Amino acid sequence: MSAIPYVANEVPEVLVQRQTRSGRIAMTLAVLAMIGVAAMPWWASTGTIRSILVLCCYIAVAQMWNLLAGYAGLVSVGQHAFMGAAGYALFVLAQTYGVNPFVAVFLSLLVPAALAVPIYLLLHRLDGPYFSIGTWVVAEVFRLTASNLPLVNSGAGMSLRVMKDYSAFERNVAMSLLCAGMLLVTLGGSYWLLRSRFGLALIAMRDNPVAAASQGVNVVKLRFLIYVASAVGCGLAGAIYFMAQLRITPGSAFDPMWANVAIFIVMVGGIGSIEGVLIGSLIFFIADRWFGEYGATYFVVLGLMTLLVALYARTGIWGLISKRWDAPWFPIRRKLVDPNR
Amino acid sequence: MEWFDALVQGVLLGGMYAQYALGMALMFGVMRIVNISHGDLVILLSLIGISFATAWGLGPLPVLIVLVPLAVLMGWVLQKAVLNRVVGSDPLPSLIATFGLSIALQNLMLQIWSANSRSLPGHGIESQSIEIGGIYIGLLPLIVLAVATGLTWGLDLTLKRTRFGRALRAASADVEAAAMTGINPRAVYAMATAAAVGILGFAAVFQALRSTVAPADGPAQLIYAFEAVIIGGMGTVWGAFAGSMVLGISQAIGFRIDPGFGVLAGHIVFLVVLATRPQGLFGKALS
Repeated sequence: MSAIPYVANEVPEVLVQRQTRSGRIAMTLAVLAMIGVAAMPWWASTGTIRSILVLCCYIAVAQMWNLLAGYAGLVSVGQHAFMGAAGYALFVLAQTYGVNPFVAVFLSLLVPAALAVPIYLLLHRLDGPYFSIGTWVVAEVFRLTASNLPLVNSGAGMSLRVMKDYSAFERNVAMSLLCAGMLLVTLGGSYWLLRSRFGLALIAMRDNPVAAASQGVNVVKLRFLIYVASAVGCGLAGAIYFMAQLRITPGSAFDPMWANVAIFIVMVGGIGSIEGVLIGSLIFFIADRWFGEYGATYFVVLGLMTLLVALYARTGIWGLISKRWDAPWFPIRRKLVDPNR
Repeated sequence: MEWFDALVQGVLLGGMYAQYALGMALMFGVMRIVNISHGDLVILLSLIGISFATAWGLGPLPVLIVLVPLAVLMGWVLQKAVLNRVVGSDPLPSLIATFGLSIALQNLMLQIWSANSRSLPGHGIESQSIEIGGIYIGLLPLIVLAVATGLTWGLDLTLKRTRFGRALRAASADVEAAAMTGINPRAVYAMATAAAVGILGFAAVFQALRSTVAPADGPAQLIYAFEAVIIGGMGTVWGAFAGSMVLGISQAIGFRIDPGFGVLAGHIVFLVVLATRPQGLFGKALS
């Protein structure tokens, strides 16, 4: 840039516009929703809190998968490995070692972070699609290890009995605050990341990793960091989910269902956008309530929808919407505007 | 002696895995695609075979004769309807498409055949064994190994010697250059997938004969095939075969140590190979 000589007064005065009206409305609504989630004990029943907690976990896990697949180009089908690992860490810390469970939720995040580093160093050697199945193998290794590990009571699983020391209201307050915090970290954190200079690098990488590297983006390092961040985010969702469940077994902790959920939500909602994750999560959450009773048929439809989206509408619902109306909820673009007009 | 027995059983088990791994190696080598519904197709074919056998009272060999052409047809349809639309340098579309297909197939099978485990009646062949030097070897696993060796040899020879094999190798080296020399990549891809799924027709019959199958078993078969390909080294048919042997032996020895450790032992060997020799035991190191 600096190599091009120019006369100073020829540069037009412009402002960088980074927020839009739709963005401001959406941001207000998002903040209100976050406050609503945090204040759930004062307006919602315990059953509603449980439902919203599950929805929050869907959103968090889907957004973490979106960061990986939509921006870093790493298609993982084994993120449930980190959910289960953090869940188990929480149970061991709180139940076996007597750490306050609400402190243990945060301490348990060290486990997925510590595991993600060597796992990524191993798996990044696998080419494209083989990486995906590699992540699945890792999740299986975790499940089988948990089934054989006496520390976590092997295949029989563990119960979080220490939670009975707290009243139902106290637990609801903690769950609501944790949910709001999880949304803030996963969604808010992603939004902040995408608006920062790393966001530019990530979007460049999404569009073309080779071109991004030639522009000075450290693709290798960024991928690694996204993988670890996504593991921690999934770990947080896992710790909160299993704290609410009060029980963990190898089968539930490392349940591939979560990979299905994340892939369905992100692909149907719209990959590479936060809006898509929100749309997809709501669709999945409602579909699960309404059609979950149909069991296998419901999953056949879900699978076929995923297949059809991959074949015919790769940008998902949000992609179709944003092609028609230019009103992003979470604008990440930088737009130059002339202040004199 | 006990460990030698485990080794022999492992090699025999490897014969089964080789039948899954060949198709995966072929498809990845040609199209850089991994079909996540690979294992589910084996189970689907097995269940169809079992239904044929019970409906018409067929023995294993007639089932095989019916099932392999059906598998070839399924592979061809899979390529035409799904994979041709997602083949490309970006791995995401093909992964998501076959992932969705896998979920749909698993649950469709659950509806048609219920969650029960079934197996193919072998009319006595599954319980026969021969004694060699104090070790009893099941006749069926021996046949499985022989068929796997034959399939590997046949596929290797097809790739090296025939016109179709040359077209496949050309398309896998550089699709555009191959297209310029008059090869139609779509047709080559369709034949490759048809061959890969056709091999799964053999795997389906043998899997249903030697153990049981249930609709949820597919993902495990996918993972074994994948591990065998990576352990052996990508790009070679005999590598996939050898990787299957290593995986089979690892699991058999693991099962002897502790029944809960067998499958995990296979995974661990896979991870160790990935850590120490990422190009696989028989693959060429990248410069």
